[in-house]
Amino acid sequence: MSVLKLHPEKCTGCLRCELACSYMQTGEYQPAKSVIRVSPFEGHTSYAPYTCPQCAEGWCMTACPVGAITINAVGAKDVLDDKCVGCKLCTIACPYGTMFYDPATRKAFKCNLCGGAPACAEACPTAAITYEDVATADWLGDFAVERTARVLAEAR
Amino acid sequence: MAARHLVIGGGTAGMNAIRTIREEESERSSITLVSAERPYSRMVLPYYLDRSIAESHVFTATGKVLADWGVTAHLGKRVTALDTSASACTLDDGTTIPYDDCLIATGSSAVRAPVPGADGRGVHSFWTLDEARGVIAQIQPGSHVVMVGAGFIAFTILNSILSLGAKLTIVEIAPRILPRMIDDTGAALVQAWLKEHGVAVRTGAKVARIEDVKGRRRLKFAAGGDLVCDVVIMATGIKTNLEWLKGSPVKVNQGIVVDEYLRSSVPNVYAAGDVAEGRDLISQKAAVHAIEPTAQEHGRIVGANMAGKNVRYRGSLIINIVEVCHLDVASFGAWDDTGAEAASSVKADRPAYRKLLWRGDRLTGAIILGRSSDIWTVNDVGMLKGLVQSGVSLGRWKAYLKKNPFDVKPAFIAAKTTSTLLPETVLGRPSKAPGETPVAV
Repeated sequence: MSVLKLHPEKCTGCLRCELACSYMQTGEYQPAKSVIRVSPFEGHTSYAPYTCPQCAEGWCMTACPVGAITINAVGAKDVLDDKCVGCKLCTIACPYGTMFYDPATRKAFKCNLCGGAPACAEACPTAAITYEDVATADWLGDFAVERTARVLAEAR
Repeated sequence: MAARHLVIGGGTAGMNAIRTIREEESERSSITLVSAERPYSRMVLPYYLDRSIAESHVFTATGKVLADWGVTAHLGKRVTALDTSASACTLDDGTTIPYDDCLIATGSSAVRAPVPGADGRGVHSFWTLDEARGVIAQIQPGSHVVMVGAGFIAFTILNSILSLGAKLTIVEIAPRILPRMIDDTGAALVQAWLKEHGVAVRTGAKVARIEDVKGRRRLKFAAGGDLVCDVVIMATGIKTNLEWLKGSPVKVNQGIVVDEYLRSSVPNVYAAGDVAEGRDLISQKAAVHAIEPTAQEHGRIVGANMAGKNVRYRGSLIINIVEVCHLDVASFGAWDDTGAEAASSVKADRPAYRKLLWRGDRLTGAIILGRSSDIWTVNDVGMLKGLVQSGVSLGRWKAYLKKNPFDVKPAFIAAKTTSTLLPETVLGRPSKAPGETPVAV
């Protein structure tokens, strides 16, 4: 399957991915409702997008008591709105912090790869987010180790 | 002859086991389910109570689904005896069912505080679907509801009661609320939040008796004034349903003693869910969790093993979350470990609290409180779970988190938690979607 490959060194922190994602997922241009989240590193001198890695276990999916999380046609874990009751069990089962809950609709929501045409990847002007047929991976770990060295030194 | 599997109990553990048997087996087996109730999810009953879902939504397998899965179901029946030497069980209608292997997943029942009047009219438990129906019929806008007990179960229905327009008073015998889910600081914050939202909380209050007065309920206390209300809900605890197993050689401690494959002391008898004393992921000791996610993991592992796989159980993590009037309250792992190194922080300007606990440089427990609308709270809930579950070495990030418990994300990412988590699966293979369970041809 294709997944979102993240290239943190190319991210400029422009947040276009968050706008595109929130519009696609909730119909609102509202970064707070985006399921791809851009984080600053090293005092806002570099940035990285972060989203659901579409893990093999699918902790959100197996935790759901009513079978409201399924695997969609492109292989992404996806919430079925008419089945979700809003119990939030998926938000504590997901160990990546990539399950979201909309208080307005009382439903959980997450990255579903936009059904195969991810809006974030299309919106990114620097190709920091690409949609590729590769195995999912920890795209940010090495980058974060390098770009947090100063912050960490201060914490000691 | 095809293997004959017997599943006793149609709750979370039992239904996950049945689905997993069908996913994992190489040859079609025979599955018999004995369940006192039609299979449904207790987790979603609060949403039935507040009428945001129809009753039909609570069922996890209809008769048609069970037939599709090729399950012979004895619903509304209970097992009265297990003859492990003959590998057969007897039902309350006299039927005998022989098996090759069997899963005990009979769950828990609500228990009421032993006070006079606790079994009287207008006094309810909220645990089973039948009990939920009883409560729904009684609560009207303007009703005064008194909840006896301030534990997790009580808090799962708090929002529902309020959204029905009822007035709510919570009465707790202990000096504080949520004793098994969060610490004193967290509990005090939640109690203050409840007061702000018009919910009266009376802690350290021992109910002496419940009387019926002109169709209303009067609660008398060991000390302090009476309370008069319309509906009493007793959320005073649960107990495992194991009495029927008395006299069998299946070894029971706090729950059924199981090995790392979730087999009981009788090799062809498994146990899962609330009745099983499985392994706790953090302490690596046997423990009865009695929570939904543990029942689900137990059920899947037993299902795979009944289907002939040899899946080892590495242990489950205690995870709990309740939403209290748009405040998320969650805890993970050994949040109450007095021997752990801990750091905590309360935000002065908003209802937000974090407590992180370490053994060495690994996070072993966490408590998190924050507004549901705060997206960073929601993200951090999951990341804290990931840090505790993965047990990644935090190295110098430990000192950072102790100073900055509200900034979890850089530590999560730079500790390469994702790398540790991605290969982890409960069954050693990618999970299948709920709709992908093979059906009988």
